[in-house]
Amino acid sequence: MFGVWLSLVLLLCLLGGVAGFWWLQRRRQQQKEALLRRQLVSVTQSSRQTGDNIAHDLRTPLTRLRADVEDALRHDDSEMHRATLERVLDEIQNMQNIVNALLALSQAEAGVMRVRKKTVDLSGLLEELIELYIPSAEERQLTLQGRIAPNLNIEADRQLLARIFANLFDNELKYVPAGGTILLTALASGPHVEIRVEDDGPGIPVEMRDKIFERFARLDPSRTLSGGSGLGLSLVKAFAQLLQGEVRVVESSLGGAAFILTLPASAAEVSKPSP
Amino acid sequence: MVKLLIIEDDEAAAGSLKRGLAEAGYAVELAHDGERGLQQAQAGDHDLWVIDIMLPGRDGLSVLKALRDQGRRTPALILSALGKVDDRVEGLRVGGDDYVVKPYAFDELLARIEALLRRVRSFGSGPETMLELADLKMDLLSRSVTRGGQEIDLQPREFRLLEYLMRHAGQVVTRTMLLENVWEYFFDPQTNVVDVHISRLRQKIDKSFATPLLHTVRGRGYILRPEA
Repeated sequence: MFGVWLSLVLLLCLLGGVAGFWWLQRRRQQQKEALLRRQLVSVTQSSRQTGDNIAHDLRTPLTRLRADVEDALRHDDSEMHRATLERVLDEIQNMQNIVNALLALSQAEAGVMRVRKKTVDLSGLLEELIELYIPSAEERQLTLQGRIAPNLNIEADRQLLARIFANLFDNELKYVPAGGTILLTALASGPHVEIRVEDDGPGIPVEMRDKIFERFARLDPSRTLSGGSGLGLSLVKAFAQLLQGEVRVVESSLGGAAFILTLPASAAEVSKPSP
Repeated sequence: MVKLLIIEDDEAAAGSLKRGLAEAGYAVELAHDGERGLQQAQAGDHDLWVIDIMLPGRDGLSVLKALRDQGRRTPALILSALGKVDDRVEGLRVGGDDYVVKPYAFDELLARIEALLRRVRSFGSGPETMLELADLKMDLLSRSVTRGGQEIDLQPREFRLLEYLMRHAGQVVTRTMLLENVWEYFFDPQTNVVDVHISRLRQKIDKSFATPLLHTVRGRGYILRPEA
């Protein structure tokens, strides 16, 4: 009799255990689902925001194109037609830049862009890029300077690195007012190299510092300050991540914005500066 | 007449390309898929092939690889709609001589076709030590430049820029070609970086001389030539 009771109790315990385990699992599952739902909502919201921005950035030139072409068609003036076609071509080029940048961005973010890592002389590459941009900076009455530690070698993709800094410089040239200074500093920092691109321009408000890396984010909410694809900093972030690095923006001691890019370079790959 | 074969499945795009190139003085043959392209390339004596990568049936890279495997050395320009850094590397690896991303500007394609044809023509003339255009002389051994006997002081990059322009004298070179060949960057910055370097070079080689040599071709690029 006792044996039967015991088995019954054991069976009940077992069932209770299973039920408890099942309940716990279910709760965990529900928590997980809730978390996923929240993430999904936030992704959807941010992608909706992105979608709105993409639509805006493509619709604006489309609106201009349409108005321009319709206007030309109402007139029978070959000189005017020619001028219209030239503007149409410029507008197509702008849209092409946006589409190309979006494509590069989605390839980078999806991880399908193959990275060709080789040992890159980062010091040399940065000197070269400064040399490439100095005349354009001077043309805008800007001073572009580099303080680059010698012999920084990293394992990375030279074209991706160059695109990162070209985008950062394009951005600086656009936003730092005439008379300003842009400074690039590069140094080895433990297992990383740290490269800062900073300026004495108007800077970036604290609440915008994460947002500026989002697609089509611009400090100016009316989005009228155009030129460029509006994707430069998103590309910087995506390319930095492809190279296992990261980028952030802080306030510069010069008074403006400081973009800080950190890239991995194992100690063995950062050779000692020559004495 | 210089003969070109264009292997491109988009008939509208191929058609306007053919018209443009015919107006530029080339004889143009079209093929609309990979298999036919391969046959036409094998049968013809073209001076240059323009091959689209994405083709129905046999893709452009495989067509080019087959032609190269048969020992055919005709210069090939690859067109791609993808524009990943990868495609460029892959295209050149299977034997392409240059690579243009769609949608391209016709002038960009034309300039690159001309540059490729010229490269073939100057092939075999041995390494040059001296480049000359009117009274502008570049000594590639001593790395010195003179104009009208007067020494011109150039930075190393300016020297490379002028060398590229002199090797393509009389021919339009685009900003993208200069970025690729002088700086080795395969992307276009949003800033007019090349234009500013050109205007600095122009200051050095043209400013104090009666006839300018370095000209801007509006909307297309630059050309180095003695006449305006």
